[in-house]
Amino acid sequence: MSKQTRRNFIKTAAVAGSVIAGLPKKTDAAPKNILSEDRMGVLVDTTVCVGCRKCEWACKTAHNMPTTPLESYDNREVMKKMRRPDHTSLTVVNEYEFDDYPEFPIDVKVQCMHCDHPACVSACIVGAFSKEENGSVIWDSSKCIGCRYCMVACPFQIPSFEFHKAIQPEIKKCDFCFSRTKEGKLPACVEICPMEALTYGRRKDLIDIARRKIELYPDRYINHIYGETEVGGTAWLYLASRKFEDLQFPKLGNSPAPGVTEAIQHGVFAYFLPPIALYALLGGVMWINKNRKKSEEGEE
Amino acid sequence: MKKIILVLLLTPLILYAQHSKLNLECKTCHSCDIPTKENPCLGECPREELIRINQKPEEAPRIIKIDRIKETNLYGPSIFDHYAHSDMSIMSGDCRICHHYNPPGNIISCSKCHSPQRKRIDISKPDLKAAYHRLCISCHREWSGEIECISCHKPAGMQEDLTLKSINKKSIHPEIKAPIKKVYNTNFTGGKLVTFYHEEHNKIFGFECSDCHKNESCVKCHATNKSALKQSPAILHSKCNKCHDTEDKKSCNLCHSNVEKPVFNHKQRTGFDISKFHSELKCSRCHVTKGKYTGLKKECKNCHGIWTTDNFDHKVTGLILDETHVEFECENCHTEPTYQERSCNNCHDDKSYPQNKPGKVVKR
Ligand code: SF4
Ligand code: SF4
Ligand code: SF4
Repeated sequence: MSKQTRRNFIKTAAVAGSVIAGLPKKTDAAPKNILSEDRMGVLVDTTVCVGCRKCEWACKTAHNMPTTPLESYDNREVMKKMRRPDHTSLTVVNEYEFDDYPEFPIDVKVQCMHCDHPACVSACIVGAFSKEENGSVIWDSSKCIGCRYCMVACPFQIPSFEFHKAIQPEIKKCDFCFSRTKEGKLPACVEICPMEALTYGRRKDLIDIARRKIELYPDRYINHIYGETEVGGTAWLYLASRKFEDLQFPKLGNSPAPGVTEAIQHGVFAYFLPPIALYALLGGVMWINKNRKKSEEGEE
Repeated sequence: MKKIILVLLLTPLILYAQHSKLNLECKTCHSCDIPTKENPCLGECPREELIRINQKPEEAPRIIKIDRIKETNLYGPSIFDHYAHSDMSIMSGDCRICHHYNPPGNIISCSKCHSPQRKRIDISKPDLKAAYHRLCISCHREWSGEIECISCHKPAGMQEDLTLKSINKKSIHPEIKAPIKKVYNTNFTGGKLVTFYHEEHNKIFGFECSDCHKNESCVKCHATNKSALKQSPAILHSKCNKCHDTEDKKSCNLCHSNVEKPVFNHKQRTGFDISKFHSELKCSRCHVTKGKYTGLKKECKNCHGIWTTDNFDHKVTGLILDETHVEFECENCHTEPTYQERSCNNCHDDKSYPQNKPGKVVKR
């Protein structure tokens, strides 16, 4: 993309964004969007993760997505490049090497954070996305109209779209193994992790555990639980031995649902140009939709 | 019934009696005032204030088949050579690097504290699978950079090789041969090379391996990338500064030099020749104050007291004195306190050592 068109794009996007940002923010009206006291989460201890990528395999297997055999994940070549979760892999593990400790690279598993106040839920104009009682942020593909607002809104750039599919392309992202946890099973990645770098539990308890770990091992961890307060809190929480920015975690404020323009600039759309006209139209639809929801709420 | 009550009452006392040997505060491990067997109210594992387990590698099982975790069918059990690992543990923090928390008595199994279930109520400590893997993989990863499951597990369904014969071959650590000397290349401008006479430190200074190599990891020797192990001068000096003053700027060149240093020579350094009679002795035989190697006079009587014809058998020097000379005082021939001088002039004008000898030369 040339400089000129990119700048134009951002300008246009900013206009579109300001329209969206002007919309009412509160969307908890949808009956499913509950923030339960006992909602679950996962504590990812990046000082324990060894980057074996078994979680990637388990995730794909649990979601019937194509994957190479388990042994092939021993090949660490793929980790030389930074990867993002996409429609082929709902979670990826990236490895970061640091000069001060070359023998001990740090591995970071990336997937949907299952925000407590998910921007994707707010952004979805047809209410396909929902925050479930157990903490999962899931979506209903039968409602999805493919507008990809969720992709723009997500501060972690998580939802991806099956662009390659001409017929019925779908949004893809980690669903916190909703169908497994419903049956009382653990999320597939949590179950397989040999190191239990992923601890599944009530979010409340996980925060206590994380605090305790920081307190017990101040040399091992920096005093920051990523996701405790970021964008109003996320179900997935991270511990690390060094600054989260070094590990390519976005630096985010504590208030929920950050501006959509910002997300656009972050470059989900670096790969394609959105049909601006459609966006303007959808923005309008969203406006009406939100207002309707609001008035429903008022009637309750 | 009475008996049971008695036992119940006494259990804490019996346990206390065992524990008390350890010189521990109850509250180090227990969070409540009266811990019982049923409710020991154990606190966080005090990994840093560990309880020592004094077991020899030979006392533990040689091979352990780790097969408690059966929830997945991806890999078979792991055949763990406990001996090979514990044998080396003397240099790497002993039993407690793995058995990090153990009440007195026998070693308790990991599953006592770590649940074999991943889905469980108490998630504050890792489950059994993670407890094992965190110990094994963290170290093996450090070692080889590899974390393949198949280095410890056979894929599910394949037969494990449990015969000791095959295990005998490869798993016990080969005997470690201490090097005679090592030359370290440092960044110190006032003398890049440090010549370290390792064998001399073992033999003459009487150090055990574990005196210096206490918290080594396997990687120290087995690293694929040695440069990653570069340590700061402070850490390196900490190994030497128990005996050598590494703070004193004037003493740098005791170890640092731009050329390789010759082996420590007592005569050159101090003027007292120990090569003939004392070369096999540990320094501490004469330098009895730990870490202090100065201050002794160059006199035999420092250590030996005053020698007389009664308490000294001249034969040990390789010369049996003849009937005449055996009667004389030592000082008649040896005029100075190290007995190095041999002079005949006190009595003879025409004789001199070693042309003339006051007795018979024998093999020492
Ligand atoms: S399975 Fe666990 S240890 Fe392996 S990469 Fe995933 S999170 Fe890390
Ligand atoms: S990380 Fe993104 S996709 Fe996941 S819940 Fe938060 S906003 Fe939605
Ligand atoms: S929770 Fe489920 S969907 Fe999400 S990354 Fe783990 S395995 Fe994949």
